[in-house]
Amino acid sequence: MHFLDFVLRNLLRRKVRSVLTIVGVSVAIAAVVALLSITGGYERTSRSVYAGHGIDMVVVRAGVADRSSSTLDEDLGKKMQELNGVSKVSATLRDSVSFEGTSGPVPLNGWPLDSSNFDALNILAPGRYLEPDDKEAVLLGKTLASNLDKKVGDEVEIEGKNFKVVGIYESGNIIEDRKAIMSLRDLQNLMDRVSQVSQFEITLRKDLPDRTATMAALRQEIENLKDEDGTKIGLAAQASDDFVKSDNQIRLAHAMAWITSAIALIVGSIGMLNTMIVSVLERTQEIGILRAIGWRKMRIMRMILVESFTLSFTGAVFGILLAFVMIQLLAKFPAAQGAVHGGITMRTIIMAYLLSILVGLVGGGYPALRGANLPPTEALRYE
Amino acid sequence: MNNHSHLLHPSHNGAPVILRVDRVGRTYADGSVTALNEVSLEIRRGEYVAIMGPSGSGKSTLLNLLGTLDRPTTGELYFEGHPLSQLRDLDAFRSRKIGFVFQSFYLLPTLTAVENVQIPMFETGTSPAQRVKRAYELLETVSMGHRCNHLPAQLSVGERQRVAIARALANDPPLLLADEPTGNLDSRSGNDVLNLFDELHTQRGKTLIIITHSQEVADRAERIIWIRDGSIVHSRAEALKQREAV
Repeated sequence: MHFLDFVLRNLLRRKVRSVLTIVGVSVAIAAVVALLSITGGYERTSRSVYAGHGIDMVVVRAGVADRSSSTLDEDLGKKMQELNGVSKVSATLRDSVSFEGTSGPVPLNGWPLDSSNFDALNILAPGRYLEPDDKEAVLLGKTLASNLDKKVGDEVEIEGKNFKVVGIYESGNIIEDRKAIMSLRDLQNLMDRVSQVSQFEITLRKDLPDRTATMAALRQEIENLKDEDGTKIGLAAQASDDFVKSDNQIRLAHAMAWITSAIALIVGSIGMLNTMIVSVLERTQEIGILRAIGWRKMRIMRMILVESFTLSFTGAVFGILLAFVMIQLLAKFPAAQGAVHGGITMRTIIMAYLLSILVGLVGGGYPALRGANLPPTEALRYE
Repeated sequence: MNNHSHLLHPSHNGAPVILRVDRVGRTYADGSVTALNEVSLEIRRGEYVAIMGPSGSGKSTLLNLLGTLDRPTTGELYFEGHPLSQLRDLDAFRSRKIGFVFQSFYLLPTLTAVENVQIPMFETGTSPAQRVKRAYELLETVSMGHRCNHLPAQLSVGERQRVAIARALANDPPLLLADEPTGNLDSRSGNDVLNLFDELHTQRGKTLIIITHSQEVADRAERIIWIRDGSIVHSRAEALKQREAV
């Protein structure tokens, strides 16, 4: 007989309790894995919005908390265009609007008609791109269109004004597909933000010998740009990856995910602790016998810890499976509006296993110490 | 037959002392309860000794001390001349040197006979294959070879005690300590167990210390040590027996 055999036999003796403990740990681990995967997926998708458009840097007003409230003068784009290493500058006005028929605010982007951002959009037949003589025309992302139940040629009411849907696009990016896009001019007029933009997106020249150095220099130049009376404008230029990472919403989502995960793990660990304490108490006499026939304290500790690790590790395996199923189901859930999407990364799985070791240690550590330190004479008297 | 004598059996003259108890005391509850008081005795290698005494006399305390399950408050125990108070790892000592047999057997209910016997071998670096082999051999020794894969609940009480004795022999300890080993057995299986003890004593040279209430069990030993109110009361067990009979 192997030691592990012996330990498994102990766990099987209390099947219902072991299963319930495993379920507790699974739910905790599933919450961690699902939340981290969803926020991680959201961050990756946000990054790929910029990557998809070939954008290297993003410029916003320095110090704004909510990026859609960043306001810059449209003409700054021309100054940036002249800087060293810049291939193209495009402007975006970002706003959130309510559509009739949607529950929450919908992100709406305004782009100049010559913006290369349009290149990343694939217009589905029978629609078309925006054209210069369009008046009050809008493109809808695929997901948004289906949520609104709108087709090409339909009208949508935005902020009390009617717009015509001239095209529905697919970008391959779930965040992008939930947006609406209109011409910069239309959005500026609609929101009374004439000649304002939220951010500039900079694409670097492809033939640069040292992109990192150029980016660093460019960043300095942009952040030092001055207006006519010589005062600093106060711009923040960031590589697009950093820009996404420092987004407050994404940071908040990460923080929420971790806080919720921590609570789930604490609850899971307490469940485990409870199971193990009861199990040690129940086996007081048995532990006394094991000590009397020569088992060292260390082996008693090992026995109890291996039991708790077996429970937590099994919990992790089922938790990861459960998270996978949860994410699949959430992705199909209409209220998620396409915001949730698959993908549990290897990193998250490793994290889940490490956390399950922690749960096993927290849940088994104290009972193991307690079991090992039972005096054998007391334990034998215990009936 | 002089097996009621306090005297050393002649066959052990000159045998080395395996266990020496030197003025050992054990108090509980911060010294207010004295369970054992200045007990001294010597047990030689290969001896078969019974410890008798009424309930509460301190014989269980003495057994716990002899078995290193507990440490004395005063005095010292010596095993083969080495003071036990200086041993850091009593568990390791116990697993190799002492085999325990309890009144209620204390077999682990989820393990089969052959698995129960293997439990003490986990601590002595025996490989799993060796453990299994040795466990079967030991069960054969206690005439339980045909019941190896039964759970304790599927065995009679006599069979359970024989499995427990096989377990006590797992690491081939020189000393066996038995606490009322026949207390839960009917007279026939009790007799079988006592015969097994005789065999372990005479054929395998084990030193046996048995705690018992039963004169019949004690009579199988070579020497009886009487204990009362925490002290060894009479060096002459027979005298005490007569006094009790009065």
